[in-house]
Amino acid sequence: MSEPTRIVTAHFDDPSVVSYEGYVRAGGYEGLRRALQLAPEEVIAEVKASGLRGRGGAGFPTGLKWSFVPQDTGKPTYVVANFDESEPGTFGNRELVEREPHQLLEGIAIAAYAIRSHLAFIYCRGEFLWPGSVLQRALAEAYEHGVLGERVLGSDYRLDVVLHRGAGAYICGEETALLSSLEGERGQPRQRPPFPAIEGLYASPTVINNVETLCFVPHILRNGAAWFAAIGPERSPGTKVFSISGKVERPGNYELPMGTPFRVLLEEHAGGVLGGRALKAWTPGGSSTPMLTAEHLDVPLDFESLQQAGSMLGTGAVMVMDETDCIVDAARRMVRFYAHESCGKCTPCREGTWWVKRIFERIEAGYGRPEDLPLLEDLAGNMLFRGFCPLLDGAVSPIRSSLRYFREELERHIAERRCPFSGRGPGLGTEPEPEPEPAAPSRPGPGRVTIPLSEVLR
Amino acid sequence: MTEPVTLTIDGREITVPAGTLVIRAAEQLGIEIPRFCDHPFLAPAGACRQCYVEIEGQAKLFTSCTTTVAPGMVVRTQVTSELVRRAQEANLEFLLLNHPLDCPVCDRGGECPLQDQALAFGPGESRYVEPKRTYEKPVPLSPRVNLDRERCVLCARCTRVCDEISGDRFIEMFARGAGQVVSIAAGEDFRSPFSGNTIQICPVGALTATPYRFVARPFDLSSTDSVCAHCAAGCNVRIDVRRGKVVRVLARDNVEVNDAWTCDKGRFAFSAPDRPERVTTPLLRGRGLEPVSFDEVLAEVAGWCRTGRVGILAGGRLLDEDAYALSKLARTVLRTNDLDHRRAFHGGRAEELAAARPMSVTYRDVERAEAILVAGLDAEQELPILHLRIRKAARRGAKVFVLHARRTRLHDVAEHVLVRPGHEAYALERVREALEAGVPEGTPEGRIAAALAAAGERAVVLAGPRLCEHPLAADVALALAERTGARFALLARRAGDPGALRAGVHPALLPGGRRVADAAERAEVEAVWGEVPTTPGRDAMGICRAAAARELDVLFLVGVDPLRDLPDAALARRALENARAKVVISLELGALEPYADAFLPAAAAAEREGHLSTWEGRPQPLRPARPPLGLARPDWQILVGLAEAMGPGLGFDSLEALRAEAAPLLAPREVPLRSTAWAAAGPPQWIAERVLFTYPLLVDEGRLSEGATELKAALEEEPFAELHPEDAEAVGVRDGGWVRLRTAAGEAVVRARVGGTVAAGAVFVPFNQPGLAANELLTGGFTVGVELQAAAEPSDAEPAAVEGVA
Repeated sequence: MSEPTRIVTAHFDDPSVVSYEGYVRAGGYEGLRRALQLAPEEVIAEVKASGLRGRGGAGFPTGLKWSFVPQDTGKPTYVVANFDESEPGTFGNRELVEREPHQLLEGIAIAAYAIRSHLAFIYCRGEFLWPGSVLQRALAEAYEHGVLGERVLGSDYRLDVVLHRGAGAYICGEETALLSSLEGERGQPRQRPPFPAIEGLYASPTVINNVETLCFVPHILRNGAAWFAAIGPERSPGTKVFSISGKVERPGNYELPMGTPFRVLLEEHAGGVLGGRALKAWTPGGSSTPMLTAEHLDVPLDFESLQQAGSMLGTGAVMVMDETDCIVDAARRMVRFYAHESCGKCTPCREGTWWVKRIFERIEAGYGRPEDLPLLEDLAGNMLFRGFCPLLDGAVSPIRSSLRYFREELERHIAERRCPFSGRGPGLGTEPEPEPEPAAPSRPGPGRVTIPLSEVLR
Repeated sequence: MTEPVTLTIDGREITVPAGTLVIRAAEQLGIEIPRFCDHPFLAPAGACRQCYVEIEGQAKLFTSCTTTVAPGMVVRTQVTSELVRRAQEANLEFLLLNHPLDCPVCDRGGECPLQDQALAFGPGESRYVEPKRTYEKPVPLSPRVNLDRERCVLCARCTRVCDEISGDRFIEMFARGAGQVVSIAAGEDFRSPFSGNTIQICPVGALTATPYRFVARPFDLSSTDSVCAHCAAGCNVRIDVRRGKVVRVLARDNVEVNDAWTCDKGRFAFSAPDRPERVTTPLLRGRGLEPVSFDEVLAEVAGWCRTGRVGILAGGRLLDEDAYALSKLARTVLRTNDLDHRRAFHGGRAEELAAARPMSVTYRDVERAEAILVAGLDAEQELPILHLRIRKAARRGAKVFVLHARRTRLHDVAEHVLVRPGHEAYALERVREALEAGVPEGTPEGRIAAALAAAGERAVVLAGPRLCEHPLAADVALALAERTGARFALLARRAGDPGALRAGVHPALLPGGRRVADAAERAEVEAVWGEVPTTPGRDAMGICRAAAARELDVLFLVGVDPLRDLPDAALARRALENARAKVVISLELGALEPYADAFLPAAAAAEREGHLSTWEGRPQPLRPARPPLGLARPDWQILVGLAEAMGPGLGFDSLEALRAEAAPLLAPREVPLRSTAWAAAGPPQWIAERVLFTYPLLVDEGRLSEGATELKAALEEEPFAELHPEDAEAVGVRDGGWVRLRTAAGEAVVRARVGGTVAAGAVFVPFNQPGLAANELLTGGFTVGVELQAAAEPSDAEPAAVEGVA
């Protein structure tokens, strides 16, 4: 097993880097110090030259994003770190923050300096109570040691960072919904254009970056763009934190160069499929990326290669399913997630995910009909790219990929009138009874339900 | 201006201004793209996803309601694109998944955009086999708005109209996904005076109006386009009548006036003319008030007028034509200038200008203004649609200032300068000084001056009724506007006020603002009317005083109840007691029953043809939604009948003839620049330490809102007194406690509201809330010196107002 280049997780084995002193001992805040000696434009140029692409899923070049921010609007500019990590299968950002919060703060400070912003926000997923507390403490330390505040590292540059805890909505990871939520509005996506770089937070130019992306920035400033660009494939340079979970021997976060084949991640790092069973399906980047199969073991994990294979890098959250897992049940659970997390703003997402969820529930429970498969096929087409934001496209991935690679399994559920894995369902030879009606989504009406805080925090 | 853009939609070329949305461009070509969330007066939402179009060169479909045109863009709608047609069908299938098929019992059935578009663009059948989502139905959001969540398609039109148009964000989307619902915070009531607009723009039957629920089917209705007669905002409305009864009022689109909105009073207060209290036969006092024929009453009244001295009080209900007939009747037949339609007495050049030069400020001017100074007006309560326009201007970046004794609902978009009532002229004068002396922007006056100076003729100065309390305040505002080149308007509140002022229902002004006392101006009127009395008459309070002193014999009360409307109830009572004959022209007798000697039944606005002028001075046509009830007649016909009974007549017997005669007299004319005396008047002096001031709120005990139970339940408030914390502390009154108000005219005990919402030294009391007629406390103006005292809660037996200290 080769020892790979580790950048953002290099100090994961050292528990002291969670503190300011430990982080500085490990070379922390050197990148920021160097950035402050450059002009903001030079910082952007450096990040551009490194070829760093956003790690949040879309893979947009980070330096280019920063360069879009206009400086002549007379409005303030803002940096927002997107720490609303909520996609099923993802836990990379969480560990980055829990172990080395100052790395994120340093990245934020460099980004803010580059776009001449004096106020930055960290949008923290509501359920992340512990990582939020870690950040809270790190922020206090950063202020205490003059990393943040009136004079950043003794320079004339002023920066404040505000930690904002969300209320627990996947949609708030979508950048415009995040901004709405941050402004105190309902977390629903907004019309683009105007893009956040032009009119973002409080209608001012705003850069929104994923936590992992920002964590790379200090290292680029410290070691130079050329160093970073030399790692991994040319078009997707650098490393990526892959969060592997599911049926593997050693689930966890593994930082590997972009373009590492999935086989290496699975077999060399994660210890192979649990119990030595056969690999059945895997998602390369969370539930919103189409599932792949054992045929795709040698696909390199980078933006382009995965696209060619019919999926996406997404967040690098690899979920592994083995031969004992029911794909229909897996798809049902994924679609249920999207139905639950759909913000409700647009019709195809709100109604489409809900309908598809109920169809999958029906098939899994043994009440599927042969006509359900073409119907699912059709509904996926009616949903893909029809929503207001990409959440809906993510919901299509489990539908399409399960139909594409596991159609037989769906057909077996329907033909046998039960789930062949769990055995649940009325089974062959019985007359299909109407499915018991699921409880209507009960929602607080006017003045009826108040949720105690203890429940919210549980 | 930006370059126009040429694009192709369904093979047809069209050129539109840059920034136009594709859906609007398609409308111009007559291509209907189905839509639910899109509304031309709301910002694009892109929520319902019904309006997909295909754009050449783009892989995805686009929603035409969020896509702006681009040069050379080639758009295909469902007309030419199979892909788009199928996408729209699919979307309608999604929309109908959870929509109940209760069209046969839904109020919207027959006029429902969802029903219509499902028929035109839908798949016809659904592949959905699972049970539908159900909710308890309906949920009342307020006494007049009901929400049926099952029918809701979550287009967010209702929440957006509250957010973007009225700023009253009472309702919001709750929860998410398929469980998302429109709702309201626990314990809150949808207390927006614009809530009815949500019902009208709901594209399904999810929001319904309590007074219209299960009342009619669209094909049962006969609909008439008319104009709202509740205030001078002039909303264009549609009146729906079912079997002779008005059952619903809807706003009509008019971008020049009300956009697509109307206030809840205009929408829900329509049943007053159908109440049993309405009197539709002429009455004459013999042994009691006895029904007689019109001719008999008119002959009797003519007899009284031939021998007696006549005074005329008019209300705010009259149509423009009625006002003209009344003005002419008074001058040429009754030979008097003792007539007045006003309740407050501005006088001065601002008023002349308003009478002479209509349309000096329009809604459009307000909308496009860069700076707006609203002085002496609570726009939301007094001219609600103007309030919406000011908000629209603010959204477009206008700087808005409100100079008023009480904070108004513009507080989130405007800087308020709270001035003691009566000190408005002084505050305005300080703005003028700031202009002259270049006072720094640090003071509110400096900021107003700077904004007005910067905006030049793109500034608007709106002078409201509160400025008519000080004899010169409106003129100071006018001088300020003239100094910076701003547009200026003197605003009237009631629907008939602008027309009455222009027609000269006024003791000193003839039609077109011509002064009675000016021989040359008078001669212009005499050329049409013949000789008119040459000395200015008494104003409304003067007429009351004269009647009380038995200096008038016949008192005409045309659409006015002096006991309730005039700012001195005691004087009004004495006037009614002492005048020998009282002639009431109205819809009902009400409290005037013991006093009336003759009653002439007038037709209601919904039964009338004629015009009402907006506060801008824009005449708008009313059309009869039904014939007048009983023997009721339009006021102008009654007045013509009286003139004929007196002998000479008025010279017209049709509306056409009346208008032809009036047109040259009412044509806009220039008023020569004259200096006013304001500079010499100096700052106003107030004798009292604290001043009570009052004005009517939108929904109160006004005659025209009688019978609108849901509206009153939702918006009418208990009487209250708003105090500044300093004053409250000085007299030991706490918020929510009781306070005794003692003026020279009387006293009352009401609940106190303490907050920074009124100027220090000012006490606000609403004019006409149930349980307190504020005019019992007034002495001829709408401000009066007041003493405050902490009080105990009045027992139920004790009336809130105790009269008769003076």
